[in-house]
Amino acid sequence: MMSAIFFYILATLILVFAYKTITANNPIHCALYLAITMINLAFLFFGLNAPFIGGVQLVVYAGAVMVLFVMVLMLFDLKSEIRAFSRGLFSGLLKIASAGLIFGILSNAIFKTGDLLGLASGGPGMPDPAGTSRDLAIMLFTKYLFAFEALGLLLLLVAVGAVAVSRIKGGTHAN
Amino acid sequence: MPISGVLLDVGINHYLVLSALLFTMGMIGVLMRKNVIVILMSIELMLNAVNLTFITFSTYNANLNGQIMVFFVMTIAAAEAGVGLALAVAIYKKFKEVNIRFFEQLRG
Repeated sequence: MMSAIFFYILATLILVFAYKTITANNPIHCALYLAITMINLAFLFFGLNAPFIGGVQLVVYAGAVMVLFVMVLMLFDLKSEIRAFSRGLFSGLLKIASAGLIFGILSNAIFKTGDLLGLASGGPGMPDPAGTSRDLAIMLFTKYLFAFEALGLLLLLVAVGAVAVSRIKGGTHAN
Repeated sequence: MPISGVLLDVGINHYLVLSALLFTMGMIGVLMRKNVIVILMSIELMLNAVNLTFITFSTYNANLNGQIMVFFVMTIAAAEAGVGLALAVAIYKKFKEVNIRFFEQLRG
């Protein structure tokens, strides 16, 4: 019972701040609300017996990525946007309707296939959280070692590429 | 062995519906906003929703492969944010504004 209350509190916070992320006029406020959303999601991950992923979520997403966003926003010195949303009533309605359609498809799939999974009630549980992180590390450095190294190479390429892209003098727009 | 955990007695459907709602909100943000950086933030929101789905299935299946996948998704999302923000910086240096309508004309 208590855990259901915790879940609903966290879910409400996540949805409210996600809504404010996509509706706030000032991009800095968007970044702040997105950081709050990610911190709440990290708590949800802790509750789901995934403490390592929750910690990575806090450090990488709510820490590094959001600092990157806020730093670039500070670089731009943007005021509050005059027209933050795209124009057009018909196209706006079409966009909202397509998003609603996606949600309908997803929730229909969730509720129609819930019985097929056979894991909601009788499925086996995870071991204790400390063991989870240890097993995760063993898996990451044995079975997924090649993917891990490829990820390191990708990050190196992205670091070089981001510097190169941000030094572009205009490309085809150069005058 | 029953499922043990702090938040686990609400059932799997609650998490999946929350994730679907979060994904839909990110999609609305991508479609409706004009600022490139806010669009990137909405993409991060969608990636977070997918991560929540992965973690939910990983926990309820007692299978750690989902958590490995979330780890990879997070790394690639950080890389994508870096490249996207570098592009936004390049756009801003040219047009002094970051608005999606400047992506319409790719030729000077």
